[in-house]
Amino acid sequence: MRVSTALAEAARTARAQRVSSLMVAVLCAAICAVTLLTVGRTAAAEEQLLSRLDHAGSRLLVVTDDRSAGLVTPAVIQVLAGLDTVERVVGVDAPVDVTNSVIGEGAERVPAWRINGELAAAVTLTTGRWPQPGEALVAESAQSRLGFSQPAGAVTDVNGREYPVVGSYIARSPFEQFDAGLVLAGDETTPTRSVHVVVSHVEAVRVTETLVVHTLAPPDLSEITLQSPTGLADLQRVLGGDLGDYGRGLLLLTLGAGAVLVAVVVLAEVLLRRRDLGRRRALGASQWGLVGLVVARTVVAAVPGALLGAVGGAVIAAIWAQPPPLEFTCAVTVLTGLVSGIAAIPPAFLAAVRDPVGVLRTP
Amino acid sequence: MNSPAALAVTDLSFAYRRGGEELFGGLTHEFAGSAITALTGPSGRGKSTLLYLLGLLLRPSAGQVLVAGQPTQALGDGERSRIRATRIGFVFQDAVLDTTRPVLDAVVEPALYAGARRREAIPRARELLTHFGLVARADHRPGEISGGQAQRVALCRALINDPLIVLADEPTGNLDRDNARVVLDAMRDAAHAGRTVVIATHDPFVLDYADHVLDLS
Repeated sequence: MRVSTALAEAARTARAQRVSSLMVAVLCAAICAVTLLTVGRTAAAEEQLLSRLDHAGSRLLVVTDDRSAGLVTPAVIQVLAGLDTVERVVGVDAPVDVTNSVIGEGAERVPAWRINGELAAAVTLTTGRWPQPGEALVAESAQSRLGFSQPAGAVTDVNGREYPVVGSYIARSPFEQFDAGLVLAGDETTPTRSVHVVVSHVEAVRVTETLVVHTLAPPDLSEITLQSPTGLADLQRVLGGDLGDYGRGLLLLTLGAGAVLVAVVVLAEVLLRRRDLGRRRALGASQWGLVGLVVARTVVAAVPGALLGAVGGAVIAAIWAQPPPLEFTCAVTVLTGLVSGIAAIPPAFLAAVRDPVGVLRTP
Repeated sequence: MNSPAALAVTDLSFAYRRGGEELFGGLTHEFAGSAITALTGPSGRGKSTLLYLLGLLLRPSAGQVLVAGQPTQALGDGERSRIRATRIGFVFQDAVLDTTRPVLDAVVEPALYAGARRREAIPRARELLTHFGLVARADHRPGEISGGQAQRVALCRALINDPLIVLADEPTGNLDRDNARVVLDAMRDAAHAGRTVVIATHDPFVLDYADHVLDLS
């Protein structure tokens, strides 16, 4: 029998044998819906939790050169920026107070940070252009405090040094503190006080921490202060592992129970329709053909059920709490179809190896 | 050189269980082509069993079933099923039609196992149904036709692949005389068309139609 003919025959048989097809479809819908409402909620919670833990702020590693020994040079920033596990890196100096140069004494003071490295790693330019060394960008939220109607002009620090303002910005996470003032473009030689490293993912925090310290190469570790989210990384790993294990266990249980029920329905169908299967053998269906037919017939009935269950389960989950991740929903639907097919194999073999003569003979 | 018989058995024996009663005791027989051979004998002598051996649904414990001269004993299930689908047509005592499918599907079914596409098989199925006066019932379910009509549908099904051999197990057992005559006339037509027709029966009315009788007494 051709494969396309066999599939079409499986579909026709599934339609003709409505009761068993409906039972398989309902079972698969239930498997899908129950999985999404139990394991799916766990997966959604896990995803949400890990997403929160994986927020850029949770991946920020800050190393401070406590004695201003010139450890955090622009060259070090450049090396760190090239590491695979580093998403973004900037050197940040201690903030200095600046005022609007035009207003002068008595003007409101706002903090300004000198930044080494790519400014785009810390802020998003909204108007103007990226500053050259010695120039500044003003935060949109700090503009009015400085008395700027436009992000243009100049600011002066407490030492009387003037910085032309060439544009405005919004700070990127996790550098929201820069929204309080200005950033000053650093030059290629002056070190900064600290280096802020956003690690690409939490699991890489520990190894990146080692690499950063190694690159800074302080003569004595007491010369630097390290603020690292390694504890958070460990927590994420533990939580992810626990939730994953729980979810996998629940998934196996649900699919396993569903598979047993599907197998029972298919077995009942096979036993009830012995003459039908015997007739097929007598008319030329091979044993493997019969196995394929029974399995395909089950999958044909299971797929619409699984799709309905997935949609229904996802909608109910969305109403009750939060929808399960789309990838998870798709995976559960495919898995349900596969499991129903696998569950049909033992009864299909039973159908194939039964003696057709016994059921075809009329006493 | 003569072409081999469509159907023959050599040294054939069969036992349902190892060490159980042996049937046929080394039977050797060549079934005549273009003729009806009736298998007859008292109950329990293996008429239906021999028919299912000839149909490659059972394997002999000794000897061979030869289809168009080809020994079949050593063939695997796939090859035996292919021979069954392409060269053998079966008619059972009660038609054994799928009650959930239309008559047309029942007739087309063996063609699918023989590798044909459904749309390729439908014209031949309609032609056969027309020949047997059943085309108006093509879309009916088996529960909506009479026993005689069902057996004629079974005959259409047996002939759809234009087989060399037609095997029938008590095909008139559930029919009245008029319907039995229609079915047997059709079998005779099939034989006259060059087929080897073998009928397992104990009905004297069927024996009247047989060209040869193989008595298993």
